[in-house]
Amino acid sequence: MSLVLKNVSKTFVGKVAVDNISFSIEKPGVFGLLGTNGAGKTTTIRMLLGIIKKDSGDITWKGKPVDRKNVNFGYLPEERGVYPKTKIIDQLMYFAELKGMKKEEALLSINKWSKELKVEEYLQMPAEKLSKGNQQKIQFMTAIIHNPELVVLDEPFSGLDPVNTEILKNIIIDLVKNGKYVIMSAHQMATIEEFCSDILILDKGKTILQGNLKHIKETYPANRVEIDVKQNINSYIKEFDLEIENVTNNNYIIKISEEEKAHQLLNKLISTGIKVDKFEIKKPTLNDIFIEKVGE
Amino acid sequence: MKDIITVMKFTIKDMVRRKSFIISTLIILILIVLGFNVPNIIKSFSDESTGDKLLIVDNDNVFEGNLELLKQANLGYEIEIGSANFDEIKGKIENNDIDEAIIIEKQDNNIKVRYIIENATMIDEVPENIVNSISSIYSNMQISKLGLTEEQLQAIRPNFEFNLEQISEEVHGNVFAMMLMSIVLFYAIYFCAYQVSSSITTEKTSKIMETLVTSTSPTTIVLGKTLGIGIVGLLQMILIVGTALISAKVFLDTELLNAVLDMSNITAYLGIITIIYFILGYFTYALLYALTGSTVSKPEDVQSANSPVAILAVIGFYLSYFTMMNPTSELNIFASLFPISSPFCMPFRIMMGLASGTDVAISIAILIVSILVIAKVAIKIYSNAILNYGTKMSFKDIINVYKDKQN
Repeated sequence: MSLVLKNVSKTFVGKVAVDNISFSIEKPGVFGLLGTNGAGKTTTIRMLLGIIKKDSGDITWKGKPVDRKNVNFGYLPEERGVYPKTKIIDQLMYFAELKGMKKEEALLSINKWSKELKVEEYLQMPAEKLSKGNQQKIQFMTAIIHNPELVVLDEPFSGLDPVNTEILKNIIIDLVKNGKYVIMSAHQMATIEEFCSDILILDKGKTILQGNLKHIKETYPANRVEIDVKQNINSYIKEFDLEIENVTNNNYIIKISEEEKAHQLLNKLISTGIKVDKFEIKKPTLNDIFIEKVGE
Repeated sequence: MKDIITVMKFTIKDMVRRKSFIISTLIILILIVLGFNVPNIIKSFSDESTGDKLLIVDNDNVFEGNLELLKQANLGYEIEIGSANFDEIKGKIENNDIDEAIIIEKQDNNIKVRYIIENATMIDEVPENIVNSISSIYSNMQISKLGLTEEQLQAIRPNFEFNLEQISEEVHGNVFAMMLMSIVLFYAIYFCAYQVSSSITTEKTSKIMETLVTSTSPTTIVLGKTLGIGIVGLLQMILIVGTALISAKVFLDTELLNAVLDMSNITAYLGIITIIYFILGYFTYALLYALTGSTVSKPEDVQSANSPVAILAVIGFYLSYFTMMNPTSELNIFASLFPISSPFCMPFRIMMGLASGTDVAISIAILIVSILVIAKVAIKIYSNAILNYGTKMSFKDIINVYKDKQN
């Protein structure tokens, strides 16, 4: 057990922000913290890092309370910020030194990460001259420059273009490969699905779903079938009393209640000589699960 | 401790590299050097021009030729003695041949002196030095006709020596110099301390706060920042005062300088006392500003949040101003001990010889205790209020934040 949160709560002037949540991260990987806006993700992260104090509960890292002295952590806050008039290299050095790095170490690390994040050319510029996306990459660099064990990323992809999203994704994958613990909050379910082994879904401060993502998805039966054909098959679908969710260029997404019906439909299509390019029985996506859970 | 130095170094570097800081410091230094050259510049202008041309006409020969003495009297005029009637003089003034004229006429028993000028809007009376010179020439002329002895002459016109002396023994030194120093001290303390507030608000508005508080403790941030800005401010003040003193020595005539500023008062002891009070005063105000600065998150709220500190500073300054005007008043004791005013008025009182060693020790002790108390409150409020983004906090909010045990 590395990181453990046990019965953690926080109330702000009469409003419960986080209500009795518990989770733990046992091995290196990405832990996903999901929720709608205002669900309590950022409050959970801030309590976790000791920026705000919890009202009750325990938060420990390898048995010790989480604070700057006990845990070497890196943090990308949701509120992005840089010193607008200060040179990028100076702000990176400043934070590296505050995190206890020596000058030479810090320079090596800045060189390495600025290459990976493709921001080398901006190092000598004041931050205000950089685009928002590049400023965000600089902040991401601040979070990982000192080689932390625990990396907490609050909405790391919001506002990034696809190219930069890809760069960041690859770095996060590398961090996990190197044995780091990553906690990531997001509301883009597709990203979470790509990375996270374990998730926790918050709604109005309460945990509504948590556990291993794969296991969670297994508990949800298949609910759709995707069929790619070259012709209209509406009549066959009607015959089996199934409902079409979406059709684009003879690519059908059909709702199913049991897998058997989908197989029967496939047999029928093949037996009538219709060429089926694609047939896939689909499990619900995280997005479906999320909407189902939060929409309840 | 290492982190405090890191924060301090970053603050110093960031401040000193700002173009606005470099330019404003340079402008102040240039203005000081220019300012001390003003007397020289004025002098060089007046040396070149020989002064107004003044024609003196004594058609009735009232002065029996003695008016020639006026030419040696150095009255600031180019004096010409001649004869002309009023119309001729009028013509000469209109043609700018001369600037002014004096016509001396005998009228029965009186002597009439007419001072003629083109336009009397700028000068509404006859220049005093001319009046005095002409009447003294006339009286000398008459006295010498009486055939008085040297002793009798001496008796008529004794050499009065006027001296200003004070009864109170304790008050000495140059009030003007001291006041100047108190004002410099006030501005230096006030503007340096203000930087702390704006630096904190900048960090809040640029949203860097969260990264910062997860990198080091709030106490480290407040102390490192306050120290950094203080060091820059102190060096800036030393640079400005040093430039002023050197310029005064180099560019001002010694006579003029001694008239305005008694340089013998500027001693190493005075320097040390001033620096000590600068540092203590700076910390008092800087930490108050750290407190108010951390309650705002938008630059437009800075002014109103800082106004209580500004009001305190003005009260402090006026208290010290009052003590300068009334150096022996009872209120002085209060002003010298009250931490809001003591940094501005104690150096003045020490130099005037109005404060004993015990007074100095008590005032410094009170300042240090106040700084510790303000620091404790400021750091606590800073720690709890830094993540307050949104509207400016009310006084009630600040009290609540201070009481907030959870944070």
